[in-house]
Amino acid sequence: MSGYGGWAGRVLRVDLSTGGIRTEDTIERYKEYLGGTGIGYKVMWDEVPAGVKPFDPENRIVFAVGPLAGTGAPCNGRTAITTLWPTCWPLPLVASGHMGGHFAAKLKYAGYDAVIIQGKADHPVWLMIEDRKVEIRDARGIWGQGTRAATCAISEIMGMDAVVAAIGQAGENLVPMSIVLSGASHSAGGIGSVMGSKNLKAIGVHGSGSVRIAGNKHEWERLIKYHLSLLGANNQHVVPNSPQPWAEFYDPNSRWNASRGRRWGGAAHPVDTGACDPHDLNRIAYRSNNAAHFLGDDVWKYTVRGNGCASCPVRCHTILKVPAVASKYDIPAVGQKTCVGLKFGANFFKTIPGGPKGATGLEANMVGLHLADDLGVWCNYGQLQRDFIKLYYDGVIEKKLGAREYKSYSWSKYEKGDPSFLFELLPRIAGKQGELGTALGLGTGHLLERWNLSEATWRKDKKLGYWKLGHPKHHASDEVGQCGLLVNLIYNRDAVCHSHSNFTRNGLPLPIQKRLAAEIWGAPEAVDGIGDFKPMHRSKALMAKWSLLRKELHDSLSLCNWMGPWAASPLRERGYSGDDSMESMLYSLATGDRKNREQLDAVAERIFLLHRALTVRGMGTKEMRTRHDTIPEWVYTDTSGKPPFTKGAVHMDRKDVEVALDMFYHELGWDRATGAPTRATYRKFGLTDVSDALAKGKLVPE
Amino acid sequence: MKEAIFAEGSERIAGTARADAVADATAALIRERSAAGDLVSEAGIALFLKEHLSSPGTSMAGDCVTAVLARLLLENEDLHALRGADSQWYYSSRSMTGEYAEILLHAQEGPVRLIAETVRHNASVYRRPVPLDIFAEPPFNLAYRQVLDCLATMAEIEGYDDIGTTITSSSATYLYSTSHLEKEYAVMLAEWFDVGESENP
Repeated sequence: MSGYGGWAGRVLRVDLSTGGIRTEDTIERYKEYLGGTGIGYKVMWDEVPAGVKPFDPENRIVFAVGPLAGTGAPCNGRTAITTLWPTCWPLPLVASGHMGGHFAAKLKYAGYDAVIIQGKADHPVWLMIEDRKVEIRDARGIWGQGTRAATCAISEIMGMDAVVAAIGQAGENLVPMSIVLSGASHSAGGIGSVMGSKNLKAIGVHGSGSVRIAGNKHEWERLIKYHLSLLGANNQHVVPNSPQPWAEFYDPNSRWNASRGRRWGGAAHPVDTGACDPHDLNRIAYRSNNAAHFLGDDVWKYTVRGNGCASCPVRCHTILKVPAVASKYDIPAVGQKTCVGLKFGANFFKTIPGGPKGATGLEANMVGLHLADDLGVWCNYGQLQRDFIKLYYDGVIEKKLGAREYKSYSWSKYEKGDPSFLFELLPRIAGKQGELGTALGLGTGHLLERWNLSEATWRKDKKLGYWKLGHPKHHASDEVGQCGLLVNLIYNRDAVCHSHSNFTRNGLPLPIQKRLAAEIWGAPEAVDGIGDFKPMHRSKALMAKWSLLRKELHDSLSLCNWMGPWAASPLRERGYSGDDSMESMLYSLATGDRKNREQLDAVAERIFLLHRALTVRGMGTKEMRTRHDTIPEWVYTDTSGKPPFTKGAVHMDRKDVEVALDMFYHELGWDRATGAPTRATYRKFGLTDVSDALAKGKLVPE
Repeated sequence: MKEAIFAEGSERIAGTARADAVADATAALIRERSAAGDLVSEAGIALFLKEHLSSPGTSMAGDCVTAVLARLLLENEDLHALRGADSQWYYSSRSMTGEYAEILLHAQEGPVRLIAETVRHNASVYRRPVPLDIFAEPPFNLAYRQVLDCLATMAEIEGYDDIGTTITSSSATYLYSTSHLEKEYAVMLAEWFDVGESENP
């Protein structure tokens, strides 16, 4: 063992083809990649050559956590799951999904920084990890069951302290639009079918160990307190959503929605969330009610409390108790979820009685979240529902289905917004039943190809929210201007990056955001008002780079990029400044490997660079700028008819976007003409071997 | 200077100790009310002093109260005054910001002014329209019908020409001030805040 704290020190490797189980030294092989996606990309680069398909036994699926997982650092509950992405179209490329909950901490307590799964079992299995005891167990008894039953069955064997990450029927049936679910509601989308292809139903983990902190105990405790003091609400919104006596500012769209009189009415003894002064660190958990934020204020009366991940005080998974749904739909009255998952059900309907925030909308969402999580169906950030509405109302579904199958659905129920329609649709997606169930389960790109529909149509229609490669936009140009555009270029799925939007949506007035932006990215021009975008500026490229590196840092350390970075804070006495050295301070104290912000960002850049190298290798071309970093047509259009950069217009200017790409590639040390990293950049970050390997295929710019 | 001002009022109060007690009690009252989320008016303070601190043989004339308050503002950095239409109002910044106090002040001036000033403040400081439903919550506490009545009133009287409304595609009403936001921009922003952000969670 090394003398480092933070890391458990071992990576577990399980070959399901041979039944082989062994461990590797984390520090020796992966320290320069931290953990999480860093380990994932490194494994994929070293072990999965181009041409391997997601469901091939040669593919790896890497469950990896970081040196901060299982410590007392706030918001450290993220597990990164890296593999070849089955919904990436037209060819699979490397991507990662991210799962919250307690899996990450438990894995560390069991003594592992990652689990690398390879091969394919000859029958359904699940993996049991109890400290040093690791076994491949027979899963035939739970194969065919949903995630809930599978989790219960494994918990009965391992005990209630174990954490189970399981796939549902969707993953078993190799439906690309599938998740793995950990605990009651923590899902990672897109990778359920990769587990299914390996006949891996679940991983159960229980650990009795701990994570050693290398630094001084009192210094660590002070740092944790400091970090807590900078926390806002969900998505690091730092102002409340209504005027509070303590607050200088407010923002009606803030997820900091606690207030006197707003009560968790579904709790056994209703709790008033109160004013939640930011200096009261014992009330951080009361700040956000994500269900009320997304589903409307009526939901307060059904709210039991917030739930969430290991060591996270924000508790963004709201627990709801809606008694009426139990008898009406035969589903549990209690359910929990966060963000887009809360709207899984109602999002399928173009119209719903009372609107999406009405009583029927809530019922649809309760049905949706229970069915989706149990069956293990993924929504791809709402793209599944947007596609479904488009295809139905354009008459495509009727054309593509045989008459018998089409009539087997209660379309009148659907058009009336009856939530019970979801019982007809979702099980068929999970079961790959019929043409519709099969097609919807493929993901947008493969669905369009199967039905001979043009992807270009999707790329033109802003309302569809589609970006590229079979995936949607995620806080893109219409919201964060050029920075949002650049962030959305890089990944092989939706960007799942919140570094930039957490800042621009933090609720502070634009002049304060600009002051903070100048401190972080060198100039106030880094941020614009929404719909008041200004031409490209170098600071926007720096903000985009910072945003992506922070995301990789979080995904590799196990910090939550939904909560951080902590670039702003709710503290008036600090001028609302946060501290973007937080990650490096936590890392340094936890591991004993002292790195300042710039040094740790350089590690993040190495990880990010390796992801880019994987994309270059996977596509077999260095022409990233024209073939990968493509921009949907809707980015350049606006219904206002106004030219770009006029107030009220959200579209981008083509020439300005080219300037943005030039600046962005330059800041990353990538070749402007191709968008591929240069040999010098690979060398700078210690990836000369990667550069050499790519050069053999002429995949490095000369 | 401080002593000169206080001397004027303290002539009517017997003894320095007594004056200090009055000052302390008044400061405590303001702080207590601020902690509870309320402003205190000058008249309210006078009443408080009369009920709780006046003793037989002493009077609490208006200029005495004014003098006490003037002293308090000078000696206590956390105590602040706001000039309302009919009265001076007081709060403590230990538990209440000036921005929140301003809202409470406008509330004292009636719902029409409260709504209009809130809309103007949002347009000016944040460059955004505001959803009508924020007025249902504290510290506004206005019923939906009441807000609609106020908007109707604004349309009929002078001084509110800048207040505009827009309805989003999700049927939510937003208010904006053309003194700080162009109409078209306000309409676009309302659609983004109501629908766009929800679709991009």
